[in-house]
Amino acid sequence: MSRPPLVVVFVAVLLIALGELGGAVLSQLRPAVARWVAARVAANPAAHGLSGSAEYDDAVREQVVFTAEAGLSFFHTHAEGVGLVLFFAATLVASVVRGRAMRAVLHAMLTAGALFPLGYLLYATAAVGLGRDAGVTLAEAWVLTPLGTTFVLGLVGLVVALGRRPRPSPEA
Amino acid sequence: MTPPPATWRLPPRATLLVAVVLLVAAEVGGASMARFKVELARWARGEMLRHPGVHGLVGVRDVDERVLDEALFRFDAGLRLFHMHAEGMALVIIATTTVAATLAETAGLRRMLTLLLTVGGVGYPLGYLLWSVLIPAWGVERSKSLVEWTVWVPFGSATIVALLGLLALISIRMVRR
Repeated sequence: MSRPPLVVVFVAVLLIALGELGGAVLSQLRPAVARWVAARVAANPAAHGLSGSAEYDDAVREQVVFTAEAGLSFFHTHAEGVGLVLFFAATLVASVVRGRAMRAVLHAMLTAGALFPLGYLLYATAAVGLGRDAGVTLAEAWVLTPLGTTFVLGLVGLVVALGRRPRPSPEA
Repeated sequence: MTPPPATWRLPPRATLLVAVVLLVAAEVGGASMARFKVELARWARGEMLRHPGVHGLVGVRDVDERVLDEALFRFDAGLRLFHMHAEGMALVIIATTTVAATLAETAGLRRMLTLLLTVGGVGYPLGYLLWSVLIPAWGVERSKSLVEWTVWVPFGSATIVALLGLLALISIRMVRR
């Protein structure tokens, strides 16, 4: 099997490494993360719609902590998985796609699109800084949807390339 | 420095064998969880009842059932996490050791990266299986603490260190081209 360009391999391994680190942070620093989120929410009451009622504010704080942990958890699983998908899909592109330009386009789409798990980090941090709904909307609109769509289109391009009938060899 | 090869080189056969065995174990684990769910829960519950002190059982049905349900949930979660992590890490071993086999120029560096990636990748998911097995007799927190320091931290760290080494290696090859 042919090797994809080194920059593609770098991004694939980087995603896997970041996914591993995200998992480690999630398991080792969960209480510290929850404390940090609670402090950020308290420091920014308007963004989270805190009312001053202890019962209501506790529920809001718990929701934001849950959203931040969910973002980290999604980042961990998606970064590991997408890093592997990028590695194997880019190897297939390098091995079966004819035409240097088409290979370059598909590698670029897959590599850029594979960065979409970073949107889950934005999802976690923006939910804390901007409020849950505004943060989630920001991450979806600016990272998850555009990069995720690019990744899917890159995979569709690979499917089309794999489905095309191979050119007959000169000996045939 | 020689230019990086245009095709992938296979990692050592032993590494591939270990990764495939881990994949099989993950598949079997997932299938067993579904097929023997009731039997596994019955065994775990029986073991927990044989160690009431470990789980803080007090002999009051309402209180004890809640404690047992929580411990059984963790027991089941450990098995599920083993299934998922073993599948994922087996593929991570294959992909990353392929990169190491292709891009590491010296045999020593290649061997070290391959060893860390293989040992770390296999050991880490087994920690979840060990956690599940220990929960009934040791309790949720005590077994978690034991597995954390004997399995998850050392094997997880081995993988992370090797991945950082691999990233450094790819960066050097990119810069020196």
